[in-house]
Parts: sequence; structure tokens; C-alpha cells
Amino acid sequence: MCASLISAGAFPTSIVNASDSRIEMLTESNSMNPGDELLVGFKFTLNPGWHTYWENPGDAGEGASINWNLPKDVNASKILWPGPERIPVDPLMTFGYEDEVVLLTKIYTSETTTIPVTLNAQVSWYTCKEICIPQEAEVSIPIKLGNKTSSASKGLLDQTLKQIPVQFNGTYRVQKLDDSYVFQGEFENVDQYDSMYFFPKDYGLTNYTEKQFYEINKDSFSLQIKASEIEIENKSFEGVVAASKNEEITFIEIDYPLATKDTSQEFNILTLIVFAFLGGLILNVMPCVFPILSIKILRFVEQSRDSTYKTLQQGLLFSLGVIISFLTIAALLIALKSGGESIGWGYQLQSPVVVSLLFYLFVVLGFIFMSNIVLGSSLARLSSISLNKSDSLESFLTGVLAVIVASPCTAPFMGSAIGFALLQPSFYSILIFLGLGVGFSLPYLILSAKPSLLSFLPKPGQWMETFKQFMAFPMWASALWLLWVLSNQVNNQEVIQVLLGALLITTGLWLIEKNNSEKDWVRWLMRLPFLLLFIFSLWLIPTSYSDLDEPKQSQLAYTPQLLEDLREENSLVFLNFTADWCITCKVNEAVALKTSKVTKLLADKDITYIEADWTRKDPIISSALEQYGRTGLPLYLLFPSKGDPLILPEILTEDILLTYLTEVQ
Amino acid sequence: MKKFLITILFIFTQASFAFIEIDSEAPNFELTDTYGNKVSLESFKGKKVVLEWTNHGCPFVAKHYKTKNMQSTQELAKSEDVVWLSIISSAPGTQGYVTKEEANTLTTTREASPTHVLLDPTGKAGILYNAKTTPHMYVINEEGLLKYQGAIDDAGGRGFMFKDLLEANNYVKIAIKELNQGKKISNPVTKPYGCSVKYAG
Repeated sequence: MCASLISAGAFPTSIVNASDSRIEMLTESNSMNPGDELLVGFKFTLNPGWHTYWENPGDAGEGASINWNLPKDVNASKILWPGPERIPVDPLMTFGYEDEVVLLTKIYTSETTTIPVTLNAQVSWYTCKEICIPQEAEVSIPIKLGNKTSSASKGLLDQTLKQIPVQFNGTYRVQKLDDSYVFQGEFENVDQYDSMYFFPKDYGLTNYTEKQFYEINKDSFSLQIKASEIEIENKSFEGVVAASKNEEITFIEIDYPLATKDTSQEFNILTLIVFAFLGGLILNVMPCVFPILSIKILRFVEQSRDSTYKTLQQGLLFSLGVIISFLTIAALLIALKSGGESIGWGYQLQSPVVVSLLFYLFVVLGFIFMSNIVLGSSLARLSSISLNKSDSLESFLTGVLAVIVASPCTAPFMGSAIGFALLQPSFYSILIFLGLGVGFSLPYLILSAKPSLLSFLPKPGQWMETFKQFMAFPMWASALWLLWVLSNQVNNQEVIQVLLGALLITTGLWLIEKNNSEKDWVRWLMRLPFLLLFIFSLWLIPTSYSDLDEPKQSQLAYTPQLLEDLREENSLVFLNFTADWCITCKVNEAVALKTSKVTKLLADKDITYIEADWTRKDPIISSALEQYGRTGLPLYLLFPSKGDPLILPEILTEDILLTYLTEVQ
Repeated sequence: MKKFLITILFIFTQASFAFIEIDSEAPNFELTDTYGNKVSLESFKGKKVVLEWTNHGCPFVAKHYKTKNMQSTQELAKSEDVVWLSIISSAPGTQGYVTKEEANTLTTTREASPTHVLLDPTGKAGILYNAKTTPHMYVINEEGLLKYQGAIDDAGGRGFMFKDLLEANNYVKIAIKELNQGKKISNPVTKPYGCSVKYAG
């Protein structure tokens, strides 16, 4: 080792001692001929507990850099970095090397290179523990003319070469699912690796501190890596995977092109507001809102008899209710968004409580329409405020209600625009929601300003009572729809509870209706049972999702009998063994199994698709897996009309799957 | 309901650790400056604000001050009436932790011109902003929305110590200029580089 050492003095040497670290330049041979390639190493020896960094240092620090000072016709390759290790600096994560590392470089010469030659380099690096010390050194080494002979350092350099990441020997892919990247690959003897870790080459790709989940299958693996909290658009998924088996680590280079985001969706804010306005207009004829608005029309018909001023006032208050509700929703969504949550429109209907309450509301409205209860006037009597004011309140609340009920209907055609609105600065989001509100309430505002437009409607009379009663049916239809929504969120028993709640409330209402006593206190007393029944029905509302009684998918669930029957009929069958916790299965389903092309082909060729869901360890499915020599997932079987099933690859792509499905007979 | 509750819970428990998205509201904090005054971010609404995470012992920070790169950025901010808050999140006993007096001496000797130097020994403001390195820079507009976060310039990366910082593209200066011109920030998020912030264990 010391053979290459030039005596100390003004000349740079191959070894430089710096504080807490030492650098030494090494070559595989002390001699070479023109045209030869020479492996050179920079060995950093750090005091115990100190570290230096990898190419991507992680959250802080910086990797070493080498500035070569080489004569003409001598070139140096980029640094070859050995695979790094994780060095956590709570709460941050860094990537680097502890104690010792050798960075490699290849020196290239040509036939015209003059040898002997001195290889000289200026190296800067950081030695860090809690603190970082920047280091700088100039190192050099003379190379004699002659055939290459192994130097004392050759062993160390060759050993280091083994830690340089190698090409991936097999196939792999990277898929982004929600907020994670899933890296999957197949290569021989994959099952001997007991863990993997991905080190990203660039900032803004993956999260450094979150745990990565490694899943091993028969001949493939999946590694799930949380995406970076700050996403900078990365063109490729590039980095190094450390695959370890019994303490021994193999580093593999990964570089997979990622789909780039479509940046063509640059809407003009004005266009968006106009679209939001039109969207608001269209909302009026959507089935969700229609029943509510029919109440409003009834009111208009009644009021158009009265002063036009009052009608206009009602129209304005209704619009105010609509707009304020839209703005409230906008504010709520913005608040949630800045809380870091990704949320969608119509989310309020994801809550069983809201759905149940709306269900009660529609049942009650239907009941009121059918009965003789006059909601407005009894409210007015209750709070002894003037009829005028209670009408105002009612108009306002009708506006609020209309918005709440309208929200699920906005999803299909406004979803993407609202999604975009939420990505905008808050101010724009508010403008867009304002546009929706104005569009939504405009028709009523016009009608209230010009009630003469209503003249096509017949004069008020007995028909109004009939019409009011008729309107109970769309109310109950909406209630039915809400119940269906609820039935997808909670189990049967809880749905029955809510139905019972509705029964209790309507009983209470009936009691109120039948109570015609002249005495105030009697009327009050009679309201008590209603109040109790009402409270009790509120208590019945389920507050959280519950396990559904039956799987949501209409897919055929695997049973040995079903498979046997289908086989006897000589049907083509695709059997998918899957589980919620199996990452590979989920990725395959997302990218291949559930795509429209595959679904269509399955239908066209009349292939029966069966799912064996192993989310809960089911002994029947376990034994089916055993039949095919498997103990784990995924497993895809394609049964031809006769003969043994084909076992599909563990990692599916749409193309692979389509080929199999096309060819099966 | 569960989802909604989780959302709400998330807001209250996790917000303090979440990455702040560009164009969202810069979270408020209140810290003591080197003269013992309480300074809150909110009080600067109506002005642009630059946040600079710093640690004088960090070689990256040291180079930015030695080359006057940081000072010239502060001067530009001052001339544009932009508030500059230098924040020290080093825990007591770690590198960069200073007393009020030491911090003031550093400001004088380095000829720095921050509006305030704020002491954050518990690291609460640092964690709130997910500040990872020194320097780590943030630019906030008059409405209190975060407009830029990341490095001070593009000199980061290997070989930083060899680089001439005056030739680098200073992201903070560019962000201030672009905000003044009402333009979109060309690089709103960059990779911060430097030493790790020395948070308490």
C-alpha cells in the first residue's frame, strides 16, 4: 500500500489526513501501457461514528466531488458509487457511508497517451456526525510505463466493484398507486432475498423516512414506496435497490420511465367560471334537486298572488341561501385541502350520518305534503315571529337544502372542473363555487322578479293541494335512493334501524297533526312524545361504516362447486386468487385485470371471471391454492374448455393478459 | 362519518408535520426575536415575507455568508420592503444554537440585514414548515400564501464548495422579482441543500 506513496513535501501525495477522516488514492496497478484502462479508487476512512454521503445525500449533506487534473489523452469516468446505507438523523433521513467507503473511477488512456503519467485530483467531501465538516484535499499518484500488475490495493478495489449497482437481470415495472410507487420485478431465485430498500437518485420522487413494504411471491416481488411529500415531476423512477439475503447486499440499478403528467389542461379562470355558471343552471333539472325545487315553485305560485315585492324578496333570499351554502362548502373544502387531505366533491354523502339525516328529512317532507301540517305557519306560531320573517327563513333554508341535495348530482359532470378548482389558489376556487351558486339560483331569481312568467301555470286552487300531495312521491323516491346509498355503507341491521327511526318520526308527526286542542299547554304536551321519538330516531343513526353483509362486487365468488359446474359445462374460466392486503394483486388488477379492454374481451369470449378472495384466510381457498402448489398470492388460472388450466405470470400487464385471453380455446 | 372524523383528526394532529403546498396558507407561528420581542408571522400580512432557516456553524450557511450571497439577498429584500426572518431551530447544545447576544453579534459581524432573527430552540416552527436543511428558504406573499420553498439557489449538489455563488441562479431573488411583476413563480419548489437542521433528539 505504501509502495505508491511519494515522500511527503510540497508535492501532493496519495494519502491526506483531514480532521476525523482520511483520504487515500488507490490504483489497481502502478503501471500501465498506452490504451489501457485503469481502475482508481478514493478510499475515505472516517473516525468511528462519522459518515459521508452518497450521490443523493437524502435530506441533508452532499456527496463527495472529484475534480480531475489530467494530462491530454487521459480521461476519467464519472464516480462509480457503491450502494449506500440509510443514516437517520431524526427527524430526517440521509443516505451515505459510515466508517469507510471507496469511490471508484475508471481512467481511460489512448494509444497516444504519454506514460509515465501523474493522476492528480482535487477532492472535496463532507465528514459528518451531528455536525458536518467540509474537507478538501489534493491527491495524486504516479503511474509507470509497463504491463499492468496487480497492486496491493487491487483486492480492495475488486471487492468494491461488487458493491457498485448492477443492471437488473430480469424484468420489472413501476406503477404509481395513490400516494405510493409500487416497484415489481421478476428474476431468478428472487425468493432468497429477504428484504429490499429503494434509494432514489433524485429529490422529489419518494419519501425518505417512511417504511417501505416488501412482499415476496413465488418468482416475483413487490416493493411499495411512499411517494415524496413534495412532488417534483420526475421523468423516470431512477435509483438503486438494495436487495439483501443473509447480511449480503446486492445493489441493483433501476431506471423506469414514468408517465408524464398532462399539462395541456390549462384552463382560463374566466372560462371555468362560465362553465361553473352553466353547470349551476343545469343542476336545476338534475333528479337530486328537482323535488326540493318543486316546493319552491309551489311557493312562487302562492306568492305570485301577493305583492311582487315580496316574491322578489323571497327569490333573493333563496339565492342567498344557495350562494352562501356553496361558499361554505368551498371554504370547507379549502380548509380540508390545506389540511393535506385529498377530498372529492359529493363527499358529504359518504357519511352515513348525513345520508340518514337526509333520509329522515325526505320522509318527513313527503309526510308533510300528504298531511295537513303547515310547516311555515306552525313554525311562525311556535316562535311568535311574524309570518313574513318565517317565510324569509324558509326561503333561505330551502336554498341551503337545495345545495346540499344537489351536491351528489354535480359529481358526474362537474367533478373534474371542481377538482381543478380545488387545485387553484383559494381565491379562484371561491370564484368558481360562486359561479355555480349564481347559475343554480338564477332561474328562481328571474321567476321571482317576473312572476308573470309563471302565468302559464293555472290559477291557484284545489289543484295545488293535489299537486302538493303528489309531490310527496318524488320526496319518497329520493328517500328511497338515499336508503340505497346508506345500504352500501352500513349493514342491514343498521338500515332497518334507520327505517325504524323514520317510522317513529312519522308517528310523532301524526300525533301532532291529530292534536287539535285549543289549549296551548295541551298542544305543547302532545309535542313531547314527538320530541322523544325524534331524539330516539336520531340515536338510531349509524355513525360509522360497518362491515357489509355481502361483498360489494357482483363478481362470482369462488367455490369448488361453482368451478366444477363450469368445467362440466366446458366453459372458459378465469380464476383470480386475490386479497386486499396483496399489493401485487392490487397493482395487477389496476393495470391489467380491470381495464376496459380486458373486461370487454372476457365478455366477448364468454369467459367466466371468478374471484377467490383470500383477505380473510379461508381454508377452502387455501386448499385450492395448495392444489396448484401455491401457498401465497397472486395466482391466476385460465381454464380452457378442456384440459389443465394455464398458470399466468404473477406480474400481469394488459398485453400479456390480452394475449392469453385471445389464445385460450 | 369515519372518514370525515379521520379527516378532522388529521387536520388537528397531523397538520403540524405536513408538507405545506405552494399557494396554500403559510401556517402562523410566534417566536421570540433576539431583542426579546414576540414576533408572529401573522403580523406581517400585507407584506411579502422571506423565511431563512440558518445555523452559523453549518459550512453551507457559512459559505453563503462569507461570499455575501445571503447578505445581498437580504439587501434586495429590504429594498423591496420584504420582511426577512432568519430562524434558528438548533436545539440547545447542538451546532448553531446561540444566545440572543451571540445572534446579534453574528448579525453585526456578518453585516447581515434580516428584519428579525428568531429563536426556535424547540424546533416547533422548523417542524411546522418541514424545514430540513440550513439554509432552507420560504417566500410568502402579501396574502400569507406560500409561494416558494427550497434552496436559496441552484449551486447545491456535489462540488458546492468549489462553486462561485455569485454565478448561481438565486431562487429567492427570482421569486421576489417574479412576485413583484405579478408573474407565476418559475420554480416554486426546489431541493433544499445544506446541513440538517439540528432539531432536539
